[in-house]
Amino acid sequence: MSLKEAISTHVQDGDLVGIGGLSFWRKPISACREIIRQNRKDLTVCTFVGGIEVDMLIGAGCISHVKSCFVGMEIFGMAPYYRKAIESGLIKISEESEASIALGLKCSYLKVPFMPLKGIIGTDFPKVRNDIKQFEDPLGSGTQLMALPKIDLDVAILHVPYADEFGNGNIAGAVWLDDDMAKTAKKTIITCEKLVEMEDIRHLPGKAQLPMQTTSAVVKIPFGAHPTSCYPIYTFDPNHIQRYLKTEFEQYKQNFIVNKTNVQYLDAAGGSQTILNILL
Amino acid sequence: MTEYSNDYTVDEILTVLMAREVRNDDVMIVGVATPMVWAAFTLAKVTHAPGAIYHYIMGNTFVYEPRQVSLLYLEMNTARAYRFQNSGECTLESLPSEKLTTIEWFRPAQIDIFGNTNNICIGDWSNPKLRFPGCAGIADFSMFYSRGSFLYTPRHDKRTFVPKIDFISGVGFPDGKPSICGGSGPQCVITNLAYLTFDDNSKRMKICTIHPGIDLETVKNSTGFELLIPDEIRETKPPTEKELKTLREKVDPLEIRKLEVLAGKEREELLKHVIEKELAMEKRFPKLIN
Repeated sequence: MSLKEAISTHVQDGDLVGIGGLSFWRKPISACREIIRQNRKDLTVCTFVGGIEVDMLIGAGCISHVKSCFVGMEIFGMAPYYRKAIESGLIKISEESEASIALGLKCSYLKVPFMPLKGIIGTDFPKVRNDIKQFEDPLGSGTQLMALPKIDLDVAILHVPYADEFGNGNIAGAVWLDDDMAKTAKKTIITCEKLVEMEDIRHLPGKAQLPMQTTSAVVKIPFGAHPTSCYPIYTFDPNHIQRYLKTEFEQYKQNFIVNKTNVQYLDAAGGSQTILNILL
Repeated sequence: MTEYSNDYTVDEILTVLMAREVRNDDVMIVGVATPMVWAAFTLAKVTHAPGAIYHYIMGNTFVYEPRQVSLLYLEMNTARAYRFQNSGECTLESLPSEKLTTIEWFRPAQIDIFGNTNNICIGDWSNPKLRFPGCAGIADFSMFYSRGSFLYTPRHDKRTFVPKIDFISGVGFPDGKPSICGGSGPQCVITNLAYLTFDDNSKRMKICTIHPGIDLETVKNSTGFELLIPDEIRETKPPTEKELKTLREKVDPLEIRKLEVLAGKEREELLKHVIEKELAMEKRFPKLIN
């Protein structure tokens, strides 16, 4: 299946979309560019720690709602379109913590409406989240707890170094919440650097952290996480990230997204010199 | 005899003071975009706390060996983990564990007299003047740690130290009461001007020591609320020659930690320099420190 087909089949306007990876690491950026090309609207994006992918989707007007505990450009500064969109009231934000996302996905596994947590109590989160609630342990210990609601993803979009044609995905480095997203989302799209045989997946450490039975589509896209990293193949591209920050989004979109195949994108992003820069 | 130095920069005294808080049995949480914290932990690890363990949030990984601070190859460092866990396991098992003596440094955008912190926004949440990236796990864990939470900021001014913060995203001693959820609450605030702690009874922030060359008036005038002031004010013990040499030569020779204190053109130039140096590295791996 092509990336175009995977996105057009599995991502609909208004979906709650889970994005894998963390910060500048292993983000499914090529899939996000395809979402922008297909002009999806009114998406709610849920990601553990968001960065350039959330910012791009906001810049392109695809997102109406963000569920995340952090969206920034790390050491390079703030995420400009995320910041502007919130300050101007253009998008809604669901204020999350690390645990509220991790536990929200666990709820989805367990088919329970909420999970309890001892954290968050004492913060101002309850003032801005009418879907969380403090309560006392019903079993009588007297402990105060915070109820955090479930997160049922419509679709999870994940980028991994290795996958097979059946939909088994292997992550070489940190998994973050990718496995929980893959297993709980109604649909799961995996983009991968290398398409390998199932026999290869059997021999990789961790085997199929993303199992075939929960995968809807697999698409091979080399450097599909650029300008974020994909361990153990390449690190993130600091030059491209800075370029993104210095370019108006409409211009960036013309230069790198509109009508661009993956090869044209990589050429525009600096071609072989960029690839040699980031290869580990 | 310990040789104290009088030739150091703001980032160096901050890093050294943060390193001194680390104990040998600590699990050291390294967050996102905090090279100064990473440098402090590594300095501790190669000086007085060789047994301490890194827990990289960005990798949800446990790592034992100390490596040079790096901007581009940080993930390569975390890939040398002896244990990976996913973020759910990390949230549920490791961080709140009473078995672990965890140390984590938080850098607040705003802080109040009781150590409550804000990393969410300036102004009203629903219509903010300034939106920050977010508080990540601070809302989950600031109230939990048995060792307490540790705070730092290289910006000791009235914008950071305010009478009332705009959003509580990290819990200190609410209204001067002991920390909730069984944690020990904030332990100290290390700034570019002073080392601040919290009074045992009132839980109010107080001056513990003032850095060499800084006077009391400067500290008072840079704080938006009334700090408790001890009868006798001592001077912070500055970095030693050994600490500085280790930090400069082994831990962070590219001075990546400075990205946390510089601004504007100076910062941009340092960033450019670090990227050029790291892209030119033949071996794309942060150097192991022996």
